[in-house]
Amino acid sequence: MSDQAIAQNNGVVPDAIGKGFAFVFPFIAAIFVSGLALLAIGENPVDIFVLMANEAFGTERRIAATLSAATPLLFTGVATAICFRSGVFNVGVDGAFVLAGLAAAYIGFTLPAAFGVSLIPMAFVFAALVAAAWLYVPGYLMAHYEVDEVVSTLMLNFVALGIAGYLVNGPLLSELSGNNVTPLIHEAAHLPRLLPPSTLHAGFFIGLLMVIAYGIWTRRTATGFEGALVGLNQRFSRAIGISVPGAIILAMVLSGIVAGFGGASHAMGQLHRFVEGFSPGYGFTGMAVALLGRNTALGIFLSAVLFGALASAGTTVQFFSDIPLDLVNIVEGTVMIFAVVEISRLAWRRRRKAA
Amino acid sequence: MKLRKMMIGGAAAIMTGLSPVAMAADVAPAALIIAQGGLGDGSWNDTANAGFEAGLKKTGIEGRPVESKDVASQGEEIMRRAADGGFGLVISLEWIHGEPMEKLAPDYKDTDWVIMNQTRKGDNVASVVFAEHEGSYLAGALAAQVTADTSIKGINEDAVIGVIGGVKAPGIDKFIVGFIQGAEAINPDIKVLVAYSDSFGDPAKGQQMAKAMFDDGADIVYQVAGGTGIGIIEAAKAEGHYAIGVDTDQDSMAPGNVLTSMIKRVDVAVEDIIVNYADGKFPGGEVMDFGLAQNGVALSDMTHTKDMIPAAYLEKVDALKADIIAGKIDVWDVSTQGYPDFFK
Repeated sequence: MSDQAIAQNNGVVPDAIGKGFAFVFPFIAAIFVSGLALLAIGENPVDIFVLMANEAFGTERRIAATLSAATPLLFTGVATAICFRSGVFNVGVDGAFVLAGLAAAYIGFTLPAAFGVSLIPMAFVFAALVAAAWLYVPGYLMAHYEVDEVVSTLMLNFVALGIAGYLVNGPLLSELSGNNVTPLIHEAAHLPRLLPPSTLHAGFFIGLLMVIAYGIWTRRTATGFEGALVGLNQRFSRAIGISVPGAIILAMVLSGIVAGFGGASHAMGQLHRFVEGFSPGYGFTGMAVALLGRNTALGIFLSAVLFGALASAGTTVQFFSDIPLDLVNIVEGTVMIFAVVEISRLAWRRRRKAA
Repeated sequence: MKLRKMMIGGAAAIMTGLSPVAMAADVAPAALIIAQGGLGDGSWNDTANAGFEAGLKKTGIEGRPVESKDVASQGEEIMRRAADGGFGLVISLEWIHGEPMEKLAPDYKDTDWVIMNQTRKGDNVASVVFAEHEGSYLAGALAAQVTADTSIKGINEDAVIGVIGGVKAPGIDKFIVGFIQGAEAINPDIKVLVAYSDSFGDPAKGQQMAKAMFDDGADIVYQVAGGTGIGIIEAAKAEGHYAIGVDTDQDSMAPGNVLTSMIKRVDVAVEDIIVNYADGKFPGGEVMDFGLAQNGVALSDMTHTKDMIPAAYLEKVDALKADIIAGKIDVWDVSTQGYPDFFK
């Protein structure tokens, strides 16, 4: 089995085809499973899938809606991949994203509007600082005290939601509203929309920039290469003089910065405030995006667009058919299950390391 | 080639699926956008959807409820898609959609828009608000009478009742202030314990907080905390005291231990809007206030408790209700009047 894997990497089976298949296979499986589910409830799967494809990519406006839904996933996908490739199973991107969103919105509505457009970089920097500091903690604990990062980052998500929930229900609550939202950020701090009236905003380009920067970091920089080595074999990395704790902490901090930019982009470009329910689990969908994209820049971009398409088309398809949202959940769930093959590999690596 | 034909045929079949029905009723179809929490919440969304279906049935209009996991940030896209897709009436149950709805409504003059629990401008936008303070007033008045009557099982001597809100926010304090005002109308010296759970989805916390209130001498606790309130009702059952339900009829969640429920009739509101829309009388630009007079808020039928509550108490509640409808009693509304002196 491992011989086969080595053979693949040696080019007997071109790597690109292997990766492409790994990317497409979960979707084929998902379409098959959800097709069965549709047949079971008496719907014609072909009709429904055509309708969904139209809702996702049929017109310029629908493509814009899909990309708009994909925007936060570009950030959370990259943030997750940065850690996964170093063998750091960081599941705390969602919490960092939420806190960063609140931090960015806070800058956007407390500082005077006179700051104008400069509010945007200030909000992004502040959000990135908050999120990076947030993920530095579990990174440090993992690197120096071997605190299991799955447990710490998962638990920190609840802490982040608790803090954000407290602030938006108390000190930062908009007095004008009967609901748990902060005031709106100043108009000058809004990220511009790309194709009005679509909600697609400049944050999409920032997300693309993150994906490209990630691609360059992984392929062209020393620290990116070291991160990959640490993910492959910690003992070997140590033997050749790489600081494993340093690589782990760096991965966490970079992950935090990207998640922070994502939260800021969502607050400044999409919602223009912080609300309860700011992230419906973008961090967790980001894990699926990273896994499905096999931690490659192109893979992450394509996965993010596909999950964005599912989110946007899965909703609007209900206007024109009797398909419940559950179908979309089935598709997403199936994709994740089949994409998780990658997780089992990671877990295997961890076991081997322990042995 | 064959697959391609099938695909085109399939798409065409679906695209035309809506129009025959809509033409039969001669009115464009209606859409209901489900809020965070989704269908199956046993509360706000489900109640509204029941009214939606009843309204469709009554008028013969075609319509669909729409759910999204990401309903907060996709709101604008969903609403625009509904209007582009030929829907003539779009009702959103999601509070956060108010802002974008106000902005996009002028782009879609042929579509009527409805938002809940807030006031939005626009000739084709109707705002629905509920007078929860009025319903809560009646709940407070009933609780104040019952807590003084030790002949009722589970009632102690102390004139103490409680209320637990989900969060400290004007939208929740609207209930709480109405409740206190109603209780004090019966007994000016009554003690009303107030606490906030800081969550709408934590039954364990609700149970603990309610138990603490029962330990402090309260025997009736009003829950204004959504899912957290489920724990409050469980605590009432476990301790042999009473809870008051909210939003939907929660009396049967613990039969005999839920004194009554303050029901927000979002179903009445949604059905009413659909009927008006079908008749060509959509109240565009208006604020529709659903209070006691419109049957928009009400106490439950008290199926399990009405036999143990002395009839005089219920008559008093009915009298207060009539006075509120007649305008003889003004119930304080935190959402429009801010905070009163007796509750800061």
